[in-house]
Amino acid sequence: MKKKLLSIVLSAAMVLSVAACAPKDAPATQDQTSTKTEDQTTTTTDTDTETEPEVVSNEPDARGMLDGKFVDTRHISVELYDRNVDGGTEAGNNAWTQWIQEQMLERYNVEVEFVTVSRWSEGDDIGNLLAAQNAPDICYTYNYGQIQTYADMGGVIDLAPVLEENKDLVPSMFDWLGEELIYQDLDPANGTLWAIEGKRNEICRINTFIRKDWLDKLGLAEPTTKQEFEDCLVAFKDNADTLLGADASKMVPFSISTDVGWRAANIIESFMDPDITDKEYYVNGYDDRKFTENGTKEAIRLLNKWYNMGLIWKDFAVTDASTTTEDDMIKAGFVGAFIHNYDYPFRGGKDSINATLQSQYGDDAKFIAVNCFEDKNGNYTKYSYSNSGDRKVFFPATNDEIEASLCYLEFISQPETVEFLQTGEEGVIHTVDAATGAIVIQAPDDDHHDWYQNSGKNIDMTINCNGLRLSTPELTELSLAFSYSDVDPADVQQAIQAASLDAKIPPTVSVGDIAAETEGTDLAGKRDQTYDKAVIASEADFDTVWDNGMTEYLGAGGQAIIDERTAAWEATYGDADMLP
Amino acid sequence: MGNTNAVAEKPVAGKLKNKKKAYTGPKKSFKNYIKRYWQLYLLLLLPLVYLLIFKYLPMRYILLAFKEYKLNMPLMQMPWANVKKSVDIFKYFKIAFGNPDFRRALFNTVKLNLFDLVCGFPAPILFALILNELPFKGFKKTVQTIAYMPHFLSWVIIASLSTQLFAPTDGMINSLLAKMGLNTIPFLDDPSHWVVTYVMMGVWQSFGWGSIIYLASIAGINTELYEAASVDGANRFQKMWHITLPGIKPTIVVLLVMNLGYIMGGGFERPFAMKNNLVINVAEVISTFVYKVGIQQLKISLTTAVGLFQSVVGLFFLLGANAISRKLGERGIF
Repeated sequence: MKKKLLSIVLSAAMVLSVAACAPKDAPATQDQTSTKTEDQTTTTTDTDTETEPEVVSNEPDARGMLDGKFVDTRHISVELYDRNVDGGTEAGNNAWTQWIQEQMLERYNVEVEFVTVSRWSEGDDIGNLLAAQNAPDICYTYNYGQIQTYADMGGVIDLAPVLEENKDLVPSMFDWLGEELIYQDLDPANGTLWAIEGKRNEICRINTFIRKDWLDKLGLAEPTTKQEFEDCLVAFKDNADTLLGADASKMVPFSISTDVGWRAANIIESFMDPDITDKEYYVNGYDDRKFTENGTKEAIRLLNKWYNMGLIWKDFAVTDASTTTEDDMIKAGFVGAFIHNYDYPFRGGKDSINATLQSQYGDDAKFIAVNCFEDKNGNYTKYSYSNSGDRKVFFPATNDEIEASLCYLEFISQPETVEFLQTGEEGVIHTVDAATGAIVIQAPDDDHHDWYQNSGKNIDMTINCNGLRLSTPELTELSLAFSYSDVDPADVQQAIQAASLDAKIPPTVSVGDIAAETEGTDLAGKRDQTYDKAVIASEADFDTVWDNGMTEYLGAGGQAIIDERTAAWEATYGDADMLP
Repeated sequence: MGNTNAVAEKPVAGKLKNKKKAYTGPKKSFKNYIKRYWQLYLLLLLPLVYLLIFKYLPMRYILLAFKEYKLNMPLMQMPWANVKKSVDIFKYFKIAFGNPDFRRALFNTVKLNLFDLVCGFPAPILFALILNELPFKGFKKTVQTIAYMPHFLSWVIIASLSTQLFAPTDGMINSLLAKMGLNTIPFLDDPSHWVVTYVMMGVWQSFGWGSIIYLASIAGINTELYEAASVDGANRFQKMWHITLPGIKPTIVVLLVMNLGYIMGGGFERPFAMKNNLVINVAEVISTFVYKVGIQQLKISLTTAVGLFQSVVGLFFLLGANAISRKLGERGIF
């Protein structure tokens, strides 16, 4: 009897739970099917909107626009990096995103929704969204190979015909980027254009930073050669007690991360042949960490030597580079020197490295940029960024609002938009320097905290402009050193000069798509593994570790890319070693 | 022996019982049968629907392993896998096995799973046996609860804990060792040490939770057996060896068979969170390979081929282990 009762109760519970689940499930499945049908009808509605308006007499043009504004409200989604900043605001919902949303609605009657992806895993995140057919209408990434991979599978819209038809929608974008940059990724063979390159307005790239106050304390001059730099590191290590007191055991003379190719870029580039031809640079240029360049091995050998001398952070290779462990260490004042973005210690206002150090250890405590990696000619050769080519904007095939998306690109290319996003309202996040007239960026006060810029100068929002861009180039240049709050503009100015000294602009080569770059064998992973293993190898094992890693990298597709790039160069430029 | 078996089976056999009745039901009319047991079938309905929707329907995408994946086409219209237009439906299997990274991942998967099995399988049994011998209830309960806890931590957290503890210089253990003037231990940066760390973290995470089923099984053993053994003068160890262990043997066998089915599989989070560039040669397993090459680089067909291979091998392991356990006189899981 008891058993029967129990089973009835149980089955009743189950029926109830089924019933309870149903309403939850039902809308979900409905949603899914409705988005599916939307996707499927994408192509047909597009053609519909083109023909429809001729019938409608209410004067909206073929795109459904009247006076440059959509008659019916459109809805687009836009990718936005989330840097998860300490003390920042919610990436997808703050005063800036709301301003953009208001402006787009007012100007074009387009609703904008931001889809945030983590800045430090953006490639993976956007890849996951694309694979799930869930990507925002406007996407951007630094990795062109990734876009090409999706394009090959029919996942990306060809922008060549789109731009041809709608050039009148995006005059500011053409003004800002220019024909050459917009069509830089045009495939000469097929005439396809999968992405529009962005433009860098600040081309400084990388700097070596060293603790100025430590140098002073130990009576050392700023290093100007590799040997002097090494001597400084040794001095830091030997004088850890003086410099750090009770924390002496935490001393890290030189800090790197698992991304060795980036965090040793100054060293690597100083070992490269300064007379390298454009062809050689391009052929080896798939890897932006210069793994296969001609001097890289010797550069890493130097790091290996330093590692074995105890000058490099021992735990770098087991620490996840996407965490803030290393930054925290630098901010805590345990690190003597590092190589990073040319403005790295100035980023983040009150939380920037230099501001944090100064608040703890006094005004003298700061990192300054130095040039100490001489090439074989005694110059400080390094590569800056090229003006042309930055983040690449593309529309996934699921984008069913192409015109509205173009309007967004137009809006984000307009100089007033960019200037507002970068400098905001006067008094809130900038003031004007009385003496020079320069725009001085400051952190917003607590009342205006919602205007906090999660990325410096909001570069994550100005998707086709990376770097300060004010109304005139003169003002821009003047204001550059003032564009970091809570740090000394003189330090910024010095860093800009250091990063510009003997800097070479990498050649911009346009030879079409390289199929081998889409093979997908995790070359970047193999490169980093080799870099990391080579740095920590014993000096005797260094050659073996490096050569094995290189063989593996080339075998896994590195060589195929080099060969295809060579062939593509020769097909376009013939025997020439340099760009015309 | 036979008697103990029957008693001990109870806790695990609950679900099997239903099935068994379905197969060997009484020879009365079908109508009567349904009338008598309909509640049980009703109970079974929801899990069956779940299996159908989430496990069986998606299986049609196995076809992707033999096709060229296209983002913008329905499954049936995607072309068959081809090399330069000539159809070769095993193209992606050939690519996978031709890829040294895949072979390495395959080897590592089997290796790490075997280590897990050898170290991780007996741990909860031993723990359950030890707990069972503890006389103080309160202490026993506390130990049990503490041992369960790691099960609820995600691998991401465990991995960062392990970095805090085991990092070469800043890790707690190594900085203590260094302060005592001893040599540090490369827990995370040396491949062979890493494997030990990996396996031990796995054992630590799961032995408490895994012991629950054995404790339940031990609780089901007839206490009269222990009393009789005491009368005969058996000591603690003898009772453990001759009563407790045989009593939970069927549970052990069922779990072992199921574990063998996972020898080719294994989770993604644990190796992904624990790996680093220095130990990648031993740490890359199929699931991380599939994530990196398949999902991130959109090689969907390749990924599906690898997944299919994994499942088929897993199935053979499961069937094989089941057959062996039946041969040895134990009941398998089917």
